[in-house]
Amino acid sequence: MDDLARARRFRPGPRLVSLIVGGVAAVLVLYPIAFLIQASLSTGDPQARPPEAYGLDNFADLPRYGHIFANTLLVAVAATAMAIALGFVMGWILSRTNVPGRGVLEQLMALPYYVTPLMGALAWSLLGSPSGGFLNQTWRALGGDGHLIDVTTPYGIAWVMALFEGSVAFVMIGAVMKSMDPALEEASQVLGAGRLRTMLRVTLPLVLPGVLGAAIFVFAEMLGSFSAALVLGLPSRFYVVTTAMYQLVSQYPPQFPRAAAMGVSLFALMFAMVYVYRRIVRTGSYATITGKAFRARAMDVGGLRWPLLAVCAVYLAVAVFLPLVTLLYASVQRLATVLPRANNFTLDNYRTALSLDAVRTALGDSLLLGLGTASIGVVLMGFLAWMIYRSRLPGVGAIEYVLMFPQAVPRLVFAFGMLWAWLIFPIPIYGTLWLLLIAYLTVFLPLGLRTIAGVMLQIDRSLEESAQMCGASWGYRMRTVTMPLLRPGLIAAWLLLFIASVRELGASILLMGPKAKVITPTIVESWFSTSSELTAAMALLQTLAVAGALVLLFTLARRAAQHPGE
Amino acid sequence: MSATAAPGSARTASIEVRDLVVRYGAVAAVRGVTFSVAAGEHVTLLGPSGCGKTTTLRAIAGLEQPAAGEIRIDGRPVFSSSPRVQVPPERRGLSMVFQSYAIWPHMTVYDNVAYGLRVRRMAEAEIGERVRWALDLVQLGALGDRSASKLSGGQQQRVALARAFVFSPAVLLFDEPLSNLDAKLRAEMRLEIKELQRRLGITSVYVTHDLEEALAISDRVIVMRDGVIEQIGTPAEIYDLPRNTFVADFVGSANLIRGRRRPDLEREGTVVLETAGGAIVHGAAHGRRVGAEPLFSVRTVHVRLARERPTVAVNVWPATVRRRVFQGDFTQYHVEWDGRPLVVRTVATDPVAEGDVVFLSVDPGRCVLLES
Repeated sequence: MDDLARARRFRPGPRLVSLIVGGVAAVLVLYPIAFLIQASLSTGDPQARPPEAYGLDNFADLPRYGHIFANTLLVAVAATAMAIALGFVMGWILSRTNVPGRGVLEQLMALPYYVTPLMGALAWSLLGSPSGGFLNQTWRALGGDGHLIDVTTPYGIAWVMALFEGSVAFVMIGAVMKSMDPALEEASQVLGAGRLRTMLRVTLPLVLPGVLGAAIFVFAEMLGSFSAALVLGLPSRFYVVTTAMYQLVSQYPPQFPRAAAMGVSLFALMFAMVYVYRRIVRTGSYATITGKAFRARAMDVGGLRWPLLAVCAVYLAVAVFLPLVTLLYASVQRLATVLPRANNFTLDNYRTALSLDAVRTALGDSLLLGLGTASIGVVLMGFLAWMIYRSRLPGVGAIEYVLMFPQAVPRLVFAFGMLWAWLIFPIPIYGTLWLLLIAYLTVFLPLGLRTIAGVMLQIDRSLEESAQMCGASWGYRMRTVTMPLLRPGLIAAWLLLFIASVRELGASILLMGPKAKVITPTIVESWFSTSSELTAAMALLQTLAVAGALVLLFTLARRAAQHPGE
Repeated sequence: MSATAAPGSARTASIEVRDLVVRYGAVAAVRGVTFSVAAGEHVTLLGPSGCGKTTTLRAIAGLEQPAAGEIRIDGRPVFSSSPRVQVPPERRGLSMVFQSYAIWPHMTVYDNVAYGLRVRRMAEAEIGERVRWALDLVQLGALGDRSASKLSGGQQQRVALARAFVFSPAVLLFDEPLSNLDAKLRAEMRLEIKELQRRLGITSVYVTHDLEEALAISDRVIVMRDGVIEQIGTPAEIYDLPRNTFVADFVGSANLIRGRRRPDLEREGTVVLETAGGAIVHGAAHGRRVGAEPLFSVRTVHVRLARERPTVAVNVWPATVRRRVFQGDFTQYHVEWDGRPLVVRTVATDPVAEGDVVFLSVDPGRCVLLES
């Protein structure tokens, strides 16, 4: 009975811990947003903290920046249209036709996402800038006039963004197409409708809600995207809201309140989009998802298989292969040019990049931060996911809502709120890696939560309940049943958090201090202040470092798993 | 060590459930349920899906939080609405077999079964001994090292059983443990569970919607509907003396015959009614109050069907065969009797053709008066 009595005293344990962790996480999210709103309402001296006076002047002032909002919408609409078209075509080819090598292609479709918009923008700038772009050089060498393409235009920026977001659209639309019961189409054909009629009257209406949902999600992401517009638009003074905010904050004297008003407006717009998206997903007339087991039927497209395969190959080439090869090619040249010349080749760019203190410390700091964010994040988000989806504690619905908030806030806007918030925090973490760590943990909450929750929701609740019926306490259950079953989800979340942190730009560019530099903003700085060849080398070094760190970690983990207890 | 003797002392406990109410939001899944289970007794909660049987079981386990009522295990309250008591599941000393088996796929069979013993900090040597005993008892002795994810449905079910009883819980709870097995295996496991219950002598509460299962393994059956108890009794009582039309209908197929009471024809202990069509039916009251419009329940297997008129005094009527359905173990006849359809099941091998006129007869003791 001693045992029982002792255990009873710890009874409020899980509940209290949940409340504290959930509360802290909610504060992490809400604290910066509160300061963002406060800053946007400040009407006195823009530099004064706390604000001298409050009013709506900053918002009333926004029409002056109407063209920037118009630019943002133009880029976002164009990019969304292209990304959804890409995602739809790829989704249809890979989930509904018998194109050769479906399995491999499906895996490869994730690659554009890992190339990131920043790498893509750097590479496409080298490929398609009007004067020096490789493609335009080739065009003129072949006797063409002027330039073939120009990626510094709104459509060029949208194109680069769409290439990478197309991968996200593919995942979302492909899932909808796969989850559609082929019996619905077969029923139409059995009843005498032809293939075209079936496609128009049955297939299309069924996948439409899913496609619409994906479009809204992608559109919201595009509204808040930053790196492609920064790299491609800044030189020609083409601004979208995020780059304009960055400009307002980094110029002298900084215009914090005005930037905040812009951020709040963008946040409101994206919030509305995400709200609509969630409504569609929740209520969506998803008759497609029946819960019944069926095999997605692949349509035999006959000789059309090879052209469809070519379509997939071209997409991967343009989104992955071409950018990487371009960066590699540029990084080993003295002066990036399309025609190879023996005396133009050099490894100096790599030598320089590796010898620069700024790059070395930034890369080290980034890897360190990635390690910290991923490790702390997995524990924190794993616990939060358990609390939200398993514990049945009161109020977890509201906590989930708050924690998913960062999804609707562009990271740059969020970082702005943090900048404002942590400047006055009594513990001096501003300008240190700690601030970046907190920022990463906050902005990546939805990413980590969603990854872990995906696995957690597949684990039947009775697996935990049966441990409870065997007499296991909460801690014992977590250790022996919940955590081991969650391991695949935790590993996936760790990897995603690590990669995302090391390559983060939007939040880092505002929050890093002179003594705490990280690599991605350093690459962007180098792009604008030194040579594109050196920048290409740095970008590739970053990719190599991420890959190398992952290989090293996995080797160590495997060795540790093989020799337990050593 | 003998394979039959349970290692350690098998203490077993009684259960009392009083005025139990469980709500899911605004919906009351269990609406004031009261019953008790004696130490060592095997009780089954039987009913259609949504009747509250699983919810009641989970409330006993502690996995659901009731809104009101009281649950005592061995006289000690584990839940009470006033004064407020809610003992967490892990400290109620119970054990449970889940519908989904809930076998942990990341452990071996041995580790699954040993779990409850390790929780109780038993010495590894003793754990080994008990796990082997339990696995032998469910006939999985050789599979201890097997990964639990590589088992068939029947094997998983056996592991779940062994895991549930290995640490000698005071009460074993079963939540539809056989519903995911195919019919043949289900019949086999039914016998094994019954055998196990008798050997271990542990108090058990079993939930099922399968009548045969309930009748086969229980000392007493509790029939539930819409969150309330319809009848409590031994399997024979439930089957032979259903209290009302719901129980009569749910517990095996029955014909219901209603009519006007004819006290003039009654003798001691019997009830007689005249149907709308004029047939006179003699039945037994079994001590129940008789109203002006009595209702009889007659099991389809208790109606005899013959070509020749049987030589009994009462309850013999002519009827016409409308449909004959051969079902293997028995043949089901849909006959027209007294201007209405009646169902008769017979194992007779001599088939009667559709359209034939036959004689039906029923022992008056098999015409059971239902409570009005």
